[in-house]
Amino acid sequence: MTAPSPAAASPLRAVLAELDAGAPTLDEVARRTGLDRDVVAAAVEQLVRLRRVTASALSTSCPDGGCGPCPAGSGCDARGAPAPSGRRPVLVALSVRRPTPHP
Amino acid sequence: MVTTSATPVSRPDAVAARRSAPSCHGDGGGDVPRDGRPVVALVGSPNVGKSSLFNAVTGARRSVGNWAGTSVEVGSGSWRAGAVDVAVVDLPGAYSLDPLSPDEELTRDLLVRAEPAERPDLVVVVVSAADLARTLYLAAQVLEQPLRIVIAMTMGDVAARRGIQVDTAALGAALGVPVVAVDARRGKVAGLAELVREGLAGPPRAGTGVAGGCACPPGCGGDCCAASRAVPGGDATAAPGAPKADVVGTDGEGADLDDEEFLAADRRFALVAQAVAVATRRSGTARADWTDRVDRVATHPVAGPLVFLAVMWAVFQLTTRVAAPVQDALGGLLSGPVSGGLRGLLGLVGLRGSWVDGLLVDGVVAGVGMLLTFVPLMAIMFSLLAVLEDSGYLARAAVVTDRLMRAVGLPGRAFLPLVVGFGCNVPAVSATRVLPNARQRLLTVLLVPFTSCSARLTVYVLVSSTFFGAHAGDVVFGMYVLSIVLVILGGLLLRSTLLRAVGTEDLVLDLPRYQLPMPRLLLAVTWMRLSAFLRTAGGIIVATVVVVWALSTIQVGHDRGAEPVQNSAYGQLATAASPLFSPAGFGDWHATGALLVGFVAKEAVVSSWAQTYATEEPGDLHRPGSLGASLQDDFERSSGGHVTPAVLAFLVFLLGYTPCVATLAAQRREIGGRWTLIGIGVQFVLAWTIAVAVFQLGRLVP
Repeated sequence: MTAPSPAAASPLRAVLAELDAGAPTLDEVARRTGLDRDVVAAAVEQLVRLRRVTASALSTSCPDGGCGPCPAGSGCDARGAPAPSGRRPVLVALSVRRPTPHP
Repeated sequence: MVTTSATPVSRPDAVAARRSAPSCHGDGGGDVPRDGRPVVALVGSPNVGKSSLFNAVTGARRSVGNWAGTSVEVGSGSWRAGAVDVAVVDLPGAYSLDPLSPDEELTRDLLVRAEPAERPDLVVVVVSAADLARTLYLAAQVLEQPLRIVIAMTMGDVAARRGIQVDTAALGAALGVPVVAVDARRGKVAGLAELVREGLAGPPRAGTGVAGGCACPPGCGGDCCAASRAVPGGDATAAPGAPKADVVGTDGEGADLDDEEFLAADRRFALVAQAVAVATRRSGTARADWTDRVDRVATHPVAGPLVFLAVMWAVFQLTTRVAAPVQDALGGLLSGPVSGGLRGLLGLVGLRGSWVDGLLVDGVVAGVGMLLTFVPLMAIMFSLLAVLEDSGYLARAAVVTDRLMRAVGLPGRAFLPLVVGFGCNVPAVSATRVLPNARQRLLTVLLVPFTSCSARLTVYVLVSSTFFGAHAGDVVFGMYVLSIVLVILGGLLLRSTLLRAVGTEDLVLDLPRYQLPMPRLLLAVTWMRLSAFLRTAGGIIVATVVVVWALSTIQVGHDRGAEPVQNSAYGQLATAASPLFSPAGFGDWHATGALLVGFVAKEAVVSSWAQTYATEEPGDLHRPGSLGASLQDDFERSSGGHVTPAVLAFLVFLLGYTPCVATLAAQRREIGGRWTLIGIGVQFVLAWTIAVAVFQLGRLVP
């Protein structure tokens, strides 16, 4: 068993703070907060659901149609990432959503 | 903290009430069996083994159908839990009681919004030992409701293989409800049956809060929830007759619904984190250790970039060396027997030497055939990149690259579209929409053309294999490194001149464990990319071949010493522009013509070369590999003998100037015509300047 970390009292806030502070990976977030890596991953998913964080599954490229009219329509999502059926995401980029300042 | 105190409902009362009371929201309880038996609902996140458990406890006594009034599929059946016969309802998978889908909405309605008498008599929350933190969140929400609850934990075997042990007693103590491990596939559900029997014999537990943001009183029809959402800090329980709820501990931030949702979720995660911390024990598995050990090098600030460069160098070496013999064989086949055979056929029908002969043999076969010789190369390249991607290594490369971009002050999130740009610049420009800041978008759209798309690869390989032989892979690798350098240089240039006020944004990457690539997926990805490339490039090349052929047949020049094609409209246009590139060592009309065609699409550069050189030598079937020799002759002539720096300058210019008109169209759509023109100018000036510098400095080297 592991001892609860100080961040365990407010895990979502702690994870959001570390994402905001520029932690480059979720492993790094787990290290900084002392939270279990799986708790961090679950917290990020919840932050995405709460629209505090955006997540983009990424592939290296779209189907390589070269520089001509892009053939992305059949195999790409809106970001150009190919999504063959059954493919596991291998890279997810997370970005903290920042509120639009009100005038 | 949000808490709710609700009047416990005994089981007989609940059963009786269910027979008569209307529900809060229409007919949401339509399919709950109403035969007097206690109702047990199975809830859980998707893929936790909930349906396997349902099948295990109900056996053949089950049916599946849509929940009344919805299109959500729900299973129902009978189960003898200990000595008690119960009706079991298998609710659809839900991650949360804050619904984002009809499935989750149904679960929320039944557990939260339905009046107490309509709710199940007992809820079995199914969680996965292999994914405890993620699946416990729903349990934490259900715990807020005044329900009888039992936690069933599945996938203990999967967790054990990952080195995770979960203490069900400790987990139960942390959550305040009984927890039992089950193995539905082996029929080990007796412990669950006993807990269900015990649970049904007792009263519901007191709920600990308001889940799903709203607990409706009977008959409200959902209006209370709408009202509470409309009022900052509004409380669903403020409606007359609602169960009393106290809202405390909001840190003064519960000023709007978002904050209230956030605070509630945070409290649930505190419970989840605590439960996971006290109930799980990890033993480092060999796989995890291996991943961590590799990552210590692969994502290291200094070693990481070096590893990335070494890996990419190996990719290009493998690509060029393995593909070269196949490419040569294909080239010989197309320019020899195929062209000869076609000419023979044309001769049989009397078209030998006609314009049909020129268009088909020198145009289509030479142009499209040249592209086909690149198929093995592209296939190998796409396969290797797919291996790197599916294994998880490219995610590490992303961390390394992102760090580099931050170091030079570029927005971290610009990494996303730039990576896409290495496949194709067109979707990369569209992908800049992920950037929230308009100036960041603008900057990134202007930088995307510097990423070396796959169409440019065909030219790199042809030129480098012609001029650099065994070092072709090194040259191609160098072009990709230069592409990254150009992105950084272009970014710094734009940030110090036209776009000074671009902020930086952080990017967080979720690194997966390394995994063995799946052959089926590798083949699928490779084929998808290859076929897409051929489909697009094929169309462009055929169109360009026709245009170039048409322009090359229109004689406008009168230089008797020149070749016929040079006197054509195509040749004269290229000849007129070629002096611009003389300082870079490739001021030859062939090279300039290829660059003009490349402005339209880089896929057509090689084919236009093949076409115009073939047009010069009609019927010369004994020199099938003459394109390379012709290129060497022309570069030798235009560079004054300094071939190597001239060729490198040509490649640098090809990399740096406008990628294609389709990219320009995408840029115009995203940033407008003025900035697109500025981009064309910046790219041309940067590409020309570096190309000239490469040639002029290179010619000084003996």
